[in-house]
Amino acid sequence: MIIENVISAFEVVFSIQTLALMTIGVTGGLIAGAIPGFTIAMAIVLTLPFTFSMPPEQGLATMVSVLVGGLSGGLMAGILTGIPGTPSSVATTFDGFPLARSGQPGLALGIGVWSSFFGGIFSAICLVTLAPQLALIGLEFHPRDYFMLVIFALTITASLAGKKLVKGLIAGAVGLLVRTVGEDDAAGMARFDFGSEFLLSGFDFIAVLIGLFAFSQLLSDVRDPDVAKQSLAERGTIDAKIEHLRALKEIGKRWPLVIRSATIGVFTGILPGAGGSVANILAYDQAKKASKEPEKFGTGTPEGIIAPESSNNAVEGGALITLMALGIPGDVTAAVMLGALLMHDVVPSPSFIGDNPVLAYSIFIAFFIATFMMVGLQSIILRVFVLVTKIRMYMLAAVILGFCSIGVFSLNNGEFDLWTLVWFGVLGFLMRHFGFPLAPMILGVVLGDIAELNLARALAISTEISPFFTRPWSLFFLIVAVFSALFPLFQEHRGKFKWTLFFLPFACFTVSVPLYLMGGVARPVIAVIVLGFGAYTLWKRWKSGWKLTAYQELGTS
Amino acid sequence: MVKFNRDSVVAIILLLLCGVLFYSSFDIRQPDYGVLMPSTWPRIIIAVLALLSSIYLIQSLRARPSEKIDDDLNICVDSFSITENKPGIMGFFDYWRNPIICFSMFFLFLITLPVFGMLIGGLIFVFTLMSLLGGWKPRKLMTHAAISILTVGAMWSLFTFVLGVMLPVGIIFNPFAL
Repeated sequence: MIIENVISAFEVVFSIQTLALMTIGVTGGLIAGAIPGFTIAMAIVLTLPFTFSMPPEQGLATMVSVLVGGLSGGLMAGILTGIPGTPSSVATTFDGFPLARSGQPGLALGIGVWSSFFGGIFSAICLVTLAPQLALIGLEFHPRDYFMLVIFALTITASLAGKKLVKGLIAGAVGLLVRTVGEDDAAGMARFDFGSEFLLSGFDFIAVLIGLFAFSQLLSDVRDPDVAKQSLAERGTIDAKIEHLRALKEIGKRWPLVIRSATIGVFTGILPGAGGSVANILAYDQAKKASKEPEKFGTGTPEGIIAPESSNNAVEGGALITLMALGIPGDVTAAVMLGALLMHDVVPSPSFIGDNPVLAYSIFIAFFIATFMMVGLQSIILRVFVLVTKIRMYMLAAVILGFCSIGVFSLNNGEFDLWTLVWFGVLGFLMRHFGFPLAPMILGVVLGDIAELNLARALAISTEISPFFTRPWSLFFLIVAVFSALFPLFQEHRGKFKWTLFFLPFACFTVSVPLYLMGGVARPVIAVIVLGFGAYTLWKRWKSGWKLTAYQELGTS
Repeated sequence: MVKFNRDSVVAIILLLLCGVLFYSSFDIRQPDYGVLMPSTWPRIIIAVLALLSSIYLIQSLRARPSEKIDDDLNICVDSFSITENKPGIMGFFDYWRNPIICFSMFFLFLITLPVFGMLIGGLIFVFTLMSLLGGWKPRKLMTHAAISILTVGAMWSLFTFVLGVMLPVGIIFNPFAL
């Protein structure tokens, strides 16, 4: 049965039409990723209207290729101009640009491209192996657990805003509220329509996403009139030829670093809300700490390119794991992918892989193929990149705004979506300006219906509220949501207040309770390990006389 | 004396929004079936949003004066005046010139869409926006015109002929309107 499904998926992905669309997708992603200010999320969002008329397998394969291309495109701008194309390639510039300026741009690019490739392949393997296993766990989830999982996803995404936690949570709540406008799914009653027939149909969430992300980003990009008239070519040299063999030799000498960084990427991707922008900095930091020559970082060392590039390409595999196994997007780009699935009436859930095996395997295969395509197309795109860098930002903004209008209109063939686009564009722009993170709002918009649906299902089974706090999985998600909400406070106060010494041990003790309650063999064992780690941390701190320097000693900072 | 800053104003607007939406939630009809009423979930969110907005308001009122300065834009936010360039309303428009142009042009494009349709309207929108943001020199105008025709034309053709989307034709090019 599995083999039949895999063969069917191969047939879909290896059709000439799909391969051609994937080639266009990877090319578009590489170019979009190479343009500073043009984020991967924006590229994915703008791809959505094109996939509307395609079969789901083909549409998702195209989007996966844009995603893979976008993740790798950022390195070109970062290495050759010193300006990261996307937030995911910020750390690549730390060593990529100095190496390029020292006369080896071809080597710097080669290391970046091949590190991205290996990171992508590693995460694709993780995706294929881990997603079905995680889906099996997801099948245990009761609607109550699912509801708490959504709350956890929103909380952790908001907590990534650090000191702006309250703003992050407000953004998440506004996102949930936006989704309630229009007829409710269960009873068909009008909500917040204020007598308008347009509001009665609700906001098309693709138009909301394009407005919040693309429109608001473009308004921000052209805010400074001087920067809007500048082209990338004025900022650096862009003449280079990729040195593949030398790059492969350099990476071959440092393969444990590739594995470690890719693992960091996959796990960062699995965490809801944490994307490539977090992973590349984290991997760079870890590579520097583990290096025998940390002083060389920042001067053009290959390790400084390998770590961020292999981690940022591994992120999407991780984000897709949670999306395909649990229906919870790992980051904003995965949230848009979820939107694409919903657009095709496919609702990701723990039974997604079992219910839609051909679609699931098509995504797996497309991820692999796109990663291979990315390496092949990088050399060609490098020449296109030279042309792209001559385009002024204001031209790009005007053209993309024009494209947004055509794309959004095509969603429902209605002008109301265009108004949705413009109002949410302005809202997104104001939110950026006032320091509200957009990621929690996007997640709120995407997950709003799922949260309400599961709350309704849970209450239909039993009107009791206590199971939300007593069921092991619900309790587990509630505890991690509370600790993730408190984490920014802990980060701000650690090393200054004594209570922070108890944060980690207390988190371990409380998390071990629901893990133990889950039963079976493996989970109680994990609970005991987590409990033991918490006790060990507490003991170490007691031994050191409750000194606030304990973080450096334990390496938990 | 309590001094309001930009964050306080945003928090108050959010609280007002919560009030309006909570009041409007009483207009939601309640069916005789189902456990979770259509108004329950929105009210839960409104309650959470109101609580968070109150915390945000308190935080903004307790913030030290130094925290009231927006680091990214170096704008003095207390009096809503721009200290980076010119002060007052003119400074505000000078600072936000390009986003205001983009928004206004898109607004005009939407208003005139039933008249011009997507192709002509799109061409005018992209060309005018590029010229307003980039300048009106004759050489630039030629470039802007070429880019508008190529990109909007290609995109319109792709959606109309390949994807089969019926984009608005407008009154000018609509044969049935004549």
